[in-house]
Amino acid sequence: MKSLSIRNLSKTYFDPYAGKHVTAVQAVSLDVPEGEFVCVVGPSGCGKTTILNMIAGFIPLSGGEIVVDGRSVSGPGPDRGVVFQSHALFPWKTVLENVAFGPKMRGVPLADREAIAREYLALAGLAHAADRYPNELSGGMQQRVGVARALANQPAVLLMDEPFASVDAQTRMTLQEELTRIWQERRPTIIFITHDVPEAVFLANRVVVLSKGRVLKEIDIDLPRPRVWDALIEDERFKTLSAQVLQLVRSA
Amino acid sequence: MIAAENPFARVWGAYLRLIARFPSVGQIVPFLPLIALWALVVELGVFPRAFFPGPVDVVQSFITLTWKGILPAYLEDSVVRLLVGAAVGIAVGIPLGLLVGLSSKAHKALWPILLFFQAIGDIAWLPLLIIWFGFGLQTMTFVIVYTVLFPVVLNTVLGVRSIPLELHRAGRSLGAPPWRIVTEIVVPGALPNIITGLRNGLGYGWRALIAAEMIVGTSGIGFLMFDSRRAGSVVEILLGMIVLGLLWYAVDALILAPLERATGQRWGLVAR
Ligand SMILES: Nc1ncnc2c1ncn2[C@@H]1O[C@H](COP(=O)(O)OP(=O)(O)OP(=O)(O)O)[C@@H](O)[C@H]1O
Ligand SMILES: [Mg+2]
Repeated sequence: MKSLSIRNLSKTYFDPYAGKHVTAVQAVSLDVPEGEFVCVVGPSGCGKTTILNMIAGFIPLSGGEIVVDGRSVSGPGPDRGVVFQSHALFPWKTVLENVAFGPKMRGVPLADREAIAREYLALAGLAHAADRYPNELSGGMQQRVGVARALANQPAVLLMDEPFASVDAQTRMTLQEELTRIWQERRPTIIFITHDVPEAVFLANRVVVLSKGRVLKEIDIDLPRPRVWDALIEDERFKTLSAQVLQLVRSA
Repeated sequence: MIAAENPFARVWGAYLRLIARFPSVGQIVPFLPLIALWALVVELGVFPRAFFPGPVDVVQSFITLTWKGILPAYLEDSVVRLLVGAAVGIAVGIPLGLLVGLSSKAHKALWPILLFFQAIGDIAWLPLLIIWFGFGLQTMTFVIVYTVLFPVVLNTVLGVRSIPLELHRAGRSLGAPPWRIVTEIVVPGALPNIITGLRNGLGYGWRALIAAEMIVGTSGIGFLMFDSRRAGSVVEILLGMIVLGLLWYAVDALILAPLERATGQRWGLVAR
């Protein structure tokens, strides 16, 4: 897992209906050292998805540079794994085949890539679901497979855009705890986008607050790990940090 | 348990259990009342028998024509033509549909043309084809290929374009090069629509083929039926109609439905 560096990133969309340009992201710079877990929060429309899509290489940049693992990137690539809100699993592939997809594209032989896929499925607590199809899984399980699929490709950075936004509250808390556990075990570099402030504070080493396409503030989250909701929910430092971030987001 | 005391509900329940165990029973039983009604009308003598023969007459005619070898030979001719049409339709239609679905250049260039020629129905070509190719196999082959092709192409395009952008993005950020995106994502993603196109194409093609055989054919089920008209043999016309229905039923039950169960339905892309 390697580092990510964003220099002066900007994005201007052309809105064909209004007939004018819209600036979604403006001069955003961000350094994410290897193994860090960064959460990006901000109100709706502040440019979170736009930034993530540029890092992933899904949309072109209007200005600036993205450097992953020492190389300037353009276009999607296996060095940046993505976990989608809509899970984006391949419906015609079993869970195992989905997770083995990245290694398959790298040319890893069948037996080896299945072993890799089983390892990451076990990490995500889904060893028993290997032979099922995505549509036979619950929303929470689908997201776990999405995480396993991205990690199995051993990307330099893992990009996640509100991956837990469409699961129920209890499942979301479980998924958050599992993600912090996986992060502690494997130390992937993660950029996690959310508009849920407690989620950001719970997960991150550092929370980046965006406002109108700019970085408003960065806040270090020095809460101890492992993090579990039962302990943190009553924790004074967690409450203070959440309130601080929430205030920034609301003022943004 | 009030429902269980109702005798009809009990019979219906037993029937449901029976067809759950033997699905083929469920394919046959619905026709029994229809056949009984047909036989009844014939027995009552509402119409002259030569104009309106009964099930027994049709079965006899089936046995006679099979014995003489006429029915099997004509059936083979029609089915082979359908298979040729299907093969060419698949071999040309799917790649063409993938191209038009994936490339916006190809879409801009070809889509209007596809829509235009799709609108000119298969049979509308017959006058021209008869002048060009005369009465015979070439004309029929053209009609069947033409009819199968368009639904396959148009549905393939639809299928390709209905694949969510996220799946393309997922594939690319997992390291798939463009051609693997096509084989791993575009083709399977479009497959349910491709099968729908095949179902429509073969359905239309089968009907167009019978019509073409009636008009320009020298063999085949359509020819058999039209030739029987000349001889005034209603029973052979009815036999032809029943064979048409049965054959399509078989194609559906043995090929199309299992394909659909194994793909879109299995993957949860279409309702069961
Ligand atoms: N394809 C597009 N064309 C034009 N404008 C766009 C496009 N995508 C996003 N925008 C605009 O850019 C701005 C940032 O959008 P973005 O989707 O990045 O916000 P977000 O922070 O992810 O919001 P949310 O929390 O609602 O997901 C918004 O004003 C949006 O309307
Ligand atoms: Mg967004």
